[in-house]
Amino acid sequence: MNRMSYRSTLAAYLFLSPWVIGLLIFVGGPIVTIFILSLTKWDLLGSPTWIGLRNYINMFQGKGDFWLVFANTLIYTVIGVLVSVVWALFTALLLNQKVPGTGLAGALFFAPAVVPYIATAFALQLILRGDLGILNYWLRVIGVRNPPSWLMDPQVIIWVLPALTIYTFYTGQMMLIFDAALKEVPKELYEIAQLDGASSLTIFTKVTLPMISPILLFNVIVSFINTLNMSFTVIYPLTAGGPGKTSTVLSVDLYENAFKGFRIGYACAEAVVLFVLCVLGTACIFWLSRRRVYYEA
Amino acid sequence: MQRSKCVLGIIVAFCLTGFAALSEQITIKYVHWNALPEDPYNYVEAFEQQYPQYKIDFTLIPEAEYPAALRQMARTGTLPDVLCLWEYDMLEFAEAGYIIPLDQYVAKSEVVNLEDFIPAVRSLVKLQKRLYGLPWCYATHFLYYNKDLFDKVGVPYPDDTWTWQNFVDAARALTDPEAGIYGCDAIVFHGIWFDLIGTFGDPIIDEQGRFAIGGCAEKLLKELYQLTKEGVIAKPAALAMGATAVDLFAAGKAAMAFNGSWMVSQYKDITDFAWDIAPNPLMVYDGYARRYAGLHTGFFAINAKSKVKDAAWKFIEFCLSQEGQRLISEAYANPSARFSVMERGYHEVRGPKGPTNWEALWIQAKHGHWGYTLLPPKLWMDTVEDFYSVMLGQLSPSEAVQRAIARAQDVLGPDKVAPYTPCVP
Repeated sequence: MNRMSYRSTLAAYLFLSPWVIGLLIFVGGPIVTIFILSLTKWDLLGSPTWIGLRNYINMFQGKGDFWLVFANTLIYTVIGVLVSVVWALFTALLLNQKVPGTGLAGALFFAPAVVPYIATAFALQLILRGDLGILNYWLRVIGVRNPPSWLMDPQVIIWVLPALTIYTFYTGQMMLIFDAALKEVPKELYEIAQLDGASSLTIFTKVTLPMISPILLFNVIVSFINTLNMSFTVIYPLTAGGPGKTSTVLSVDLYENAFKGFRIGYACAEAVVLFVLCVLGTACIFWLSRRRVYYEA
Repeated sequence: MQRSKCVLGIIVAFCLTGFAALSEQITIKYVHWNALPEDPYNYVEAFEQQYPQYKIDFTLIPEAEYPAALRQMARTGTLPDVLCLWEYDMLEFAEAGYIIPLDQYVAKSEVVNLEDFIPAVRSLVKLQKRLYGLPWCYATHFLYYNKDLFDKVGVPYPDDTWTWQNFVDAARALTDPEAGIYGCDAIVFHGIWFDLIGTFGDPIIDEQGRFAIGGCAEKLLKELYQLTKEGVIAKPAALAMGATAVDLFAAGKAAMAFNGSWMVSQYKDITDFAWDIAPNPLMVYDGYARRYAGLHTGFFAINAKSKVKDAAWKFIEFCLSQEGQRLISEAYANPSARFSVMERGYHEVRGPKGPTNWEALWIQAKHGHWGYTLLPPKLWMDTVEDFYSVMLGQLSPSEAVQRAIARAQDVLGPDKVAPYTPCVP
């Protein structure tokens, strides 16, 4: 390597160093600490006591309802990703229609994303309350005799909570990203398809989806990570994980173990499981999509 | 010129003397989860005025983060000189050596006398063997009732002789499904569950300091489930962070409600109906009557590593004096844990429509127990979640109790959990 090249490389690393150092200290450090603490028993008062894999053993033996919480996490995440991505794509498609009012509609669709979720959660409590909620009031008006208890029936709550991801900021962001991606699809492809007599559904599945598939993959991964990590923000203000543990997911259980139970070691073990789930899930999405994503040459 | 120099010199000397005086001030660091009240109730300012040689450096820590923040401060050696610890935290901090016993200070104090405190304080000393904290005030639970609804149906008001059967009969009589009126609101505050379990006969924390619920808890859950199923008690609604969006009692849709004594400050603004408070009902078994009331407080404690322990005690002593307790009671509408202050009624809040029966507070205080507050929060939170599941028919009472016992054994250790016992009065 000549001197010029060496100096150039060194300069590049020096410019990158603040970010790398920040990443190592503020992200890498805590991640490594969590791994280490997951092998200890600690209540924040005394010093951590080394217990090896005992936290993981207790967890996988089902103590603290771990498997129920894990199942809730998987169900919530899968349904949440489906709902948020489909909703974002649907609203983006609507916004791409050449009809008056799409600007206003776009603002209205995006509005929930900018409202603090805690305010949304209290409003949703009033709307979804079984006996006095507005939703059930109107259902009774139209003749539904026993509308469900949306937030207190375990069979119902597993569907309701993921559906509420449409009110999160990342769903709003995905809508904007899909909107931009849809605008980039060449108009000629639609014209050719229409000339060939393709139906709307065929055009959507054979033209639109392949053309936006890289963005779709991006949004699915972003949605997966956000749904997994932000499940606490959606669930805790609304139900705090109840009734029982029917709406408790890993992030909620982790919070309660750490800050209500002061079982820091166990909570860190749950955080590690969440991290592994995130990594494996992302890898799985990439692997499943490798033959379905179309990249222009 | 000479004269100006002289005046300047006097001014400088005066300033230096002032700074010297200020530098002799002892700063006492103090944290709490409540903001300091405004004048004229600011007990910190009152202390500083009475003792100008002390200065309080106050930090507010939000309630939701309070226990975790204090633990972090303990680990990092940044605990304040005076801290107000919740019940369970006081046990843990004492065991870890972060706070000092106050026995010697109390023995020499002319202001603080343990005999003047509610019985629960002395029972805690017996449990811990030493005195580690003194309650800044206390809160308990009441049975709130809508007098207008009682008058409409002709049911006598609850009083201190009311039994659990009286409550059930009244709740049934007051329920009006057509008008959308429940006999009693669902339990929204977690402490009420343990009040009623204690009323039914389980000690919650037995004399050996063990977690103890069993057959009596099962019996309570069965009865409450039945009443919920009949529509006499409202079904539980989603609780987020301990709060529900709808208060049926305040809305006039529930004739009765069990809730914390602090709700008096909110209900005092009710103008739609007359209401009042009553103590928890008695449980009567073959002539034997049992009453159980839960208590809540924060305990003033002194940091073991404080460099100004005597000053810290001076502040605590002021807060527990007649004047300090008056200011705290009036500011937060919580009664003093000292009987001699409580009888002056500084905590009594009166609205246009209630309450009037402050005798209920005395009854609750005399039968008060710290109970579940001495347990790790996650343990009783998960147990309460199971109780809600019972009310919704998702779990049986015996399953809920067995899960509570198993959970306690996992969290506390088997030696700190009493075995299941059938309900025997």
